[in-house]
Amino acid sequence: MDVRFSREGNSLVVMMEGELDHHTASRVRERIDNKFLMEPVKNLILDLSRVTFMDSAGIGLILGRMNRVTLIGGKMLIRKPKPEIQRILRMSRIEELIELDA
Amino acid sequence: MQPINKMRTEFLSKSANESFARVVAASFAAQADPSIEVVADIRTAVSEAVTNAIIHGYGEEEGTVVLTCVLYPDFVEITVEDFGKGIEDVEKAKTPLFTTRPDLERSGMGFTVMETFMDSLEIESRVGQGTRIRMTKELKSR
Repeated sequence: MDVRFSREGNSLVVMMEGELDHHTASRVRERIDNKFLMEPVKNLILDLSRVTFMDSAGIGLILGRMNRVTLIGGKMLIRKPKPEIQRILRMSRIEELIELDA
Repeated sequence: MQPINKMRTEFLSKSANESFARVVAASFAAQADPSIEVVADIRTAVSEAVTNAIIHGYGEEEGTVVLTCVLYPDFVEITVEDFGKGIEDVEKAKTPLFTTRPDLERSGMGFTVMETFMDSLEIESRVGQGTRIRMTKELKSR
């Protein structure tokens, strides 16, 4: 999985590309957490538009990041997940916790 | 019921094989010409089952995971088997959000995903001997 970062004001935007599973999640998690610490940002935007596969490891990753962001009073946003990714997000009820920009 | 086709593959409990396993199972099911949604559901459920075998079945140790797919006229039966630690309390393991590995940021949703995305799910487990997950999915052709 490829991860690229950009900034939108107070938010760190993470563009993820490829498949998010247990195998890829640990490295992605480490990269996001390091970048989030280094940048002067408060909020986190996860752009899932190029994520082609996600299982419950992705749910774990999203919830883990949400906990960190909430801890410093920031907000999290999930951007443009594909329909099959939306399905697992809905099932896990992440939608009730995190704002979704379809 | 007479199976139309069958495949069996085994691989080491390495996380790199999670994507291998789900691609293999999805490709096998594809011969029945199922909808894109059905293929996506199979891919996700197999990924969960194989990840469970790797993380919970074997943990730090390395072992063998066996993936078997059997095609019937209307459905596919997928079995994921490991010969690792086994699950002490299957009912507890199935509880949404329950995980023995919060350190890995496991969401505890693995079995819930399998149950939701497949039409049936059976878990057979013996402590010290391993776990066998059997799932079926109806294959309505397009």
